[in-house]
Amino acid sequence: MSNYYVRRTLRVFATIFAVATLTFGLIRLLPGGPFTQLRAQLLRQGVPASEVDARIANLQNINPNAPLWQQYLDYMGAVARGNFGESISLGEPVARIIAEAVPWTVFVVLVSTILMFAVGIFLGSLQAYWEGSRFDKAFSGLSIALMSVPFYVVAVISLYVFSYQWGWLPTAGTVGASVEKELSIPFLLSALEHSILPIFSYTLGGIGGQALAMRGNSIQVLGNDYVRVARLRGLADRRIATRYVARNAILPMYTGFLLLLGFRLSGTVILEQIFSYTGLGYYMFAALKANDYPLMMATFLVITVALIVGVYIADLTYSKIDPRISAGGSDEAY
Amino acid sequence: MTAKQHGTADTTTSMTTDDPIIEITNAAVTYDGGETYVLDHVSTSIERGEILGIVGESGSGKSMFADSMLDAIPDPGRLSGEILYHRDDGTTVDVLELSDDELREFRWEEVAMVFQGAMSSFNPTMKIGGHFKETLKAHDADVTSGMEFARELLSDLYLDPERVLDSYPHELSGGMQQRALIALSLILEPEVLVMDEPTAALDLLMQRSILTLLEDLQDKYDLTMVFITHDLPLVAELADRMAVMYAFQLIEVGNREQLIGNSGHPYTRALLNATPDIEAPLEDMRPIEGQSPAPINVPQGCSFAPRCPLATEECRVEDPAFTQLDSGHAVACHHPEDARDEIALHFERSEESAPVSGGDDS
Ligand code: SF4
Repeated sequence: MSNYYVRRTLRVFATIFAVATLTFGLIRLLPGGPFTQLRAQLLRQGVPASEVDARIANLQNINPNAPLWQQYLDYMGAVARGNFGESISLGEPVARIIAEAVPWTVFVVLVSTILMFAVGIFLGSLQAYWEGSRFDKAFSGLSIALMSVPFYVVAVISLYVFSYQWGWLPTAGTVGASVEKELSIPFLLSALEHSILPIFSYTLGGIGGQALAMRGNSIQVLGNDYVRVARLRGLADRRIATRYVARNAILPMYTGFLLLLGFRLSGTVILEQIFSYTGLGYYMFAALKANDYPLMMATFLVITVALIVGVYIADLTYSKIDPRISAGGSDEAY
Repeated sequence: MTAKQHGTADTTTSMTTDDPIIEITNAAVTYDGGETYVLDHVSTSIERGEILGIVGESGSGKSMFADSMLDAIPDPGRLSGEILYHRDDGTTVDVLELSDDELREFRWEEVAMVFQGAMSSFNPTMKIGGHFKETLKAHDADVTSGMEFARELLSDLYLDPERVLDSYPHELSGGMQQRALIALSLILEPEVLVMDEPTAALDLLMQRSILTLLEDLQDKYDLTMVFITHDLPLVAELADRMAVMYAFQLIEVGNREQLIGNSGHPYTRALLNATPDIEAPLEDMRPIEGQSPAPINVPQGCSFAPRCPLATEECRVEDPAFTQLDSGHAVACHHPEDARDEIALHFERSEESAPVSGGDDS
């Protein structure tokens, strides 16, 4: 049992290690790849040829003249210490940019994913209880319609309507320009105001899928003998609804939740672009446009690590939450 | 249809017992507002402290019969008729007239039920102990003493109480789950335990041992048991009285010896002959030809007529009413004597208690 946890944890580190190596490889080794382009770019910017290597070393934590293994060790060592070099386009340490961007993205993704599940689970269980009713049919249709609308369409339309046409909500940014970046009421209010539209458009489309999943799970659970036996045993309806139906219907969705959380981080590349919301995705896109490789690689690394950690947590905790699953998938371990 | 209902209703008197705990009169279940019945106006009574075995093929309405005793027909079925429950203290309740709250108390405190498939009767994400506790709480019983009783019940069933209470359902074997479910059904000390195919999913050995345990439990706690199964020899080992169901009706009722050794209904006799018995030579085992009818095409007259070798014109026209053969032995057939004469039973029960019959009774 503990053996499984050790192995699983080691695998996380191995995967992160591999991803970091991959970013190194991309920068350094691809023919005509970023590294070469970087050199050309610096030369074009008028950096004297004699200084180009030094600049590259500074930006990438790599000394281009050192042997390959030396470069690799330097790079990995720097990444391990959280040093991603310096952004070319912004002239700031990448680590600082990311540290500022990550909270916004995590905030939007976390809140919207939780909302999406909460609303979906609520609607889905109501539909299951009233299976076949007009309410059920209407919402099933609506859910399917919602699922087929991509979030960026919702984003663009709501931005146009609520911000540009009616002016109710800000059009860009994470907080108002005049607000001090400190933990105060005006700051929080402004942050909230700026996040409403991104969260709304990132939530709406996802509700449908979760509602349908919850509806299906609940209907299946409701048909189980144990629900019937529970009723005969005289349990209160509320206890049956929560401890029996909801619990058994939500459990299978738990892994999906953690995976989606990681997955939706990468979706913010588009979302944050639309709302000029300076989070991780926004910077990734900006870096892409500006050929800002250090920043690009760092955002890529952060998002990938988040995904890996999400899967890891899902794996480790699912057996704790659902007693039917024993860790490692090896049934009857004793 | 009216003739049929009338005929069955008439039989009530022929099946009363001395001290009934449950009296069922004209219990009928319909899923389509009375077009067809999946329990077709059944009347019988259950004696206090007896073990009544109900035998029927799947789709004969035997589960409906079981469910109706707790007024627990799955939606959207409708149950009509009268089901009287006589308490120990002499008071009587009409189960179908109970309010929701009264029904909630009645179930499990007076009449409890064990379903087939114990595996699916427990919440998979709750420990066995949790099921006992929540049941006690739901009935405002004292949890501490109730859990003491739960441990005693589990020990009675040869389970290790601490281990079982602390296990999730999937951590127990099928036989253990079934026994834990029986303990759970007895936690509120009901008078009557209704069991619907309680051993169907188990291997033969486990079936035997559960039967023995049930007998012990019945002794110890003065239970009345209704044991419903498709497995005639199984229930014959346990039951004091037996009843056979065919096409949503009861067709024969009697004590065990009468029903097994001297049955008067062609269907029962065919069922006995179709039953694998270790001593019966294989070539003598005869499957019953034809199929039991679905609710929508129960034939006019006797519902067994299409498959019955003795069917006459009378059988096809008129639904047979129950007639008394011996005391306590009633059968719904026009020609019980012919049945005894012409359908020989292939097996000779080695049990001394069952009188051997070949049909030399007439
Ligand atoms: S009534 Fe007639 S058809 Fe029905 S079982 Fe008896 S003999 Fe057969």
